[in-house]
Amino acid sequence: MSFLRWWWSLLLAFALVALVRVFLPLPFANEIMIFSIYTIGCNFLLGRVGFISFGQPAYLAVGAYAAAFYFYYFGTNPYVGLLIGVAAGTLVSLAIGPMFVRLRSDYFALVNLALAVIIFYLMQKVLADITHGDNGLWFLTNLSPTPVLDLTRPNQFFIFAFMIGFAVWAFYKYLDDSIYGACCLGAKINDDKLRFLGYNNYHIRLLAFVIANTTTALAGAMYAVYLGFVSPEITSPARAADPVVVTILGGVGSLYGPLVGAIAYTGMKDVLSKVLGNWELIIGFLLVFIMLAGEKGILGTLEPLLKKGLARLAGRQAVQGERGGR
Amino acid sequence: MIDMHLLITGVIFGVSLGSIFFLMAIGLSLCFGLMRIISLDQLLYYSVGAYIAYSVSLTVGNLWLGVIVGMVVGGVAGLLVERVVFKRIYDRDITFSMITSFGILIGGVGIIKHFWGLVPRPVPVPITAQVAIIGTEFPVYRLVVIAIALSVYFGIWLFLNKTIIGKAIRAGIEDVEHVEGLGINVYRLFSITFVLAGALSALAGGLHAPLIMVDPQMGLEVLAFAFMIVIIGGLGSIKGTLVSSFLVGQVVSIGSLIYAPLAQMAPFAVMILILLLKPTGLYGSPLLKR
Repeated sequence: MSFLRWWWSLLLAFALVALVRVFLPLPFANEIMIFSIYTIGCNFLLGRVGFISFGQPAYLAVGAYAAAFYFYYFGTNPYVGLLIGVAAGTLVSLAIGPMFVRLRSDYFALVNLALAVIIFYLMQKVLADITHGDNGLWFLTNLSPTPVLDLTRPNQFFIFAFMIGFAVWAFYKYLDDSIYGACCLGAKINDDKLRFLGYNNYHIRLLAFVIANTTTALAGAMYAVYLGFVSPEITSPARAADPVVVTILGGVGSLYGPLVGAIAYTGMKDVLSKVLGNWELIIGFLLVFIMLAGEKGILGTLEPLLKKGLARLAGRQAVQGERGGR
Repeated sequence: MIDMHLLITGVIFGVSLGSIFFLMAIGLSLCFGLMRIISLDQLLYYSVGAYIAYSVSLTVGNLWLGVIVGMVVGGVAGLLVERVVFKRIYDRDITFSMITSFGILIGGVGIIKHFWGLVPRPVPVPITAQVAIIGTEFPVYRLVVIAIALSVYFGIWLFLNKTIIGKAIRAGIEDVEHVEGLGINVYRLFSITFVLAGALSALAGGLHAPLIMVDPQMGLEVLAFAFMIVIIGGLGSIKGTLVSSFLVGQVVSIGSLIYAPLAQMAPFAVMILILLLKPTGLYGSPLLKR
């Protein structure tokens, strides 16, 4: 029973995502799946460790380009490409993490943004011979169909992305519940006390940095496999804030926030930009409104209400059960 | 090696670019110094200043008038935003103001798109004359920009050091609570600083407009640069902002002479290098309250 208690929220959340797949078109479902995996790293950094990262696209690009290089120049197997993307993300974040996590939160945000800009120009201009600059790398036809789950077909790709998403969320839920998760929160709220308790907050932050950015690189590799092409556009400075916006929209630090945020963000982008044609205006003021209203986001506001509703429901049933028993 | 003429042109272009950068970043720096908020919406006033300069110079035919109108609009917009939004978040931490002001920036870009459309528009240069410096022809307009930036720097220096309000602001940068204890209304100082910052950002936009095209995303494009300058100089230091903006201007200008893609990348590499050597920036103080 306790086993189910741990899993039920995950199962419920992903049952709802599956519902999204039933009612909404496939590209949308794929997009939100990848986008929410992309965002959960940022959510973890911001909500658990207190690092606001405007440079998440940098790691997305690392994953995407690592996979793209493999597909374009070396091999054809989508699974290998994904693994290479993830490995590249881990290596890059291990290499730069020790420098970055020493910085204070506001400097961290900007240095990360700078990294995103550097990678953007690296891919667009400096390495243009390999990356084909703004034209991007196209390799959709290079991908070979795989047995069991054929990632080259969008509908089977969704099943794969769904499973990966489930695994990622289970992992982050495990992290949140573990002592390490508590340490991360401690590093966010009170550094000194954490050090006083004998934890090395440099290591805690480094690990969080690597975990979050590896997840982001995974999302990047998934983009590469799903879209079949990669261009510097994914790391352009104008899109640097997307994951932060989605994190805030969904609710900072709440586990399922990125899912809700990704659905809301992608949905609003599709629907509202068609109806009103002025997408920035809405998202900008929504962001300000959410921040002023208490920083909780969509899920953060709904969660207590849901819990209260469930508790009331359970209470009523208990009362009814008692009455029935009498 | 590089041709000598090219090098001289590069250096002077770098100085004029640095002047624009200085005006762009000074608002951010002032806001951070006094209020400990990261006010990304300064980049919105920058674009608004550029667009107002564009519209006025189109109807009246005088860019300078457009720049002044833009400064007024930028200041008023800054005051409005401060009254409505920032007043509520002064006591929150820095990341909070960063995200909120980013929301204002994006929303403002939406408003600009609504009024002026998506198409980039050229702004005529008000002074087309060229002047010879050490045998190299150079546009006078850029020299005027350099002069304006330097006079703004000395104006701010005089304001902060010689007037009583400026002294109060400087004291506020050191310790807000003591200033409050002396019976000075700190929140009025905040408003004054914000109006000043907004007007200066709009000035930067108006002066930059003839050198580039105005388009709705222009604020987002320079965002990374403005930030980098403030960070290299040290958050909150005006002298540091001046030094680092000229440094970045040179790096961009000379870098583009050596190898074109360097212009965009080199400044960021410089920033990471400086931050690794001195995590608080060139002139930043290690002591930061809150």
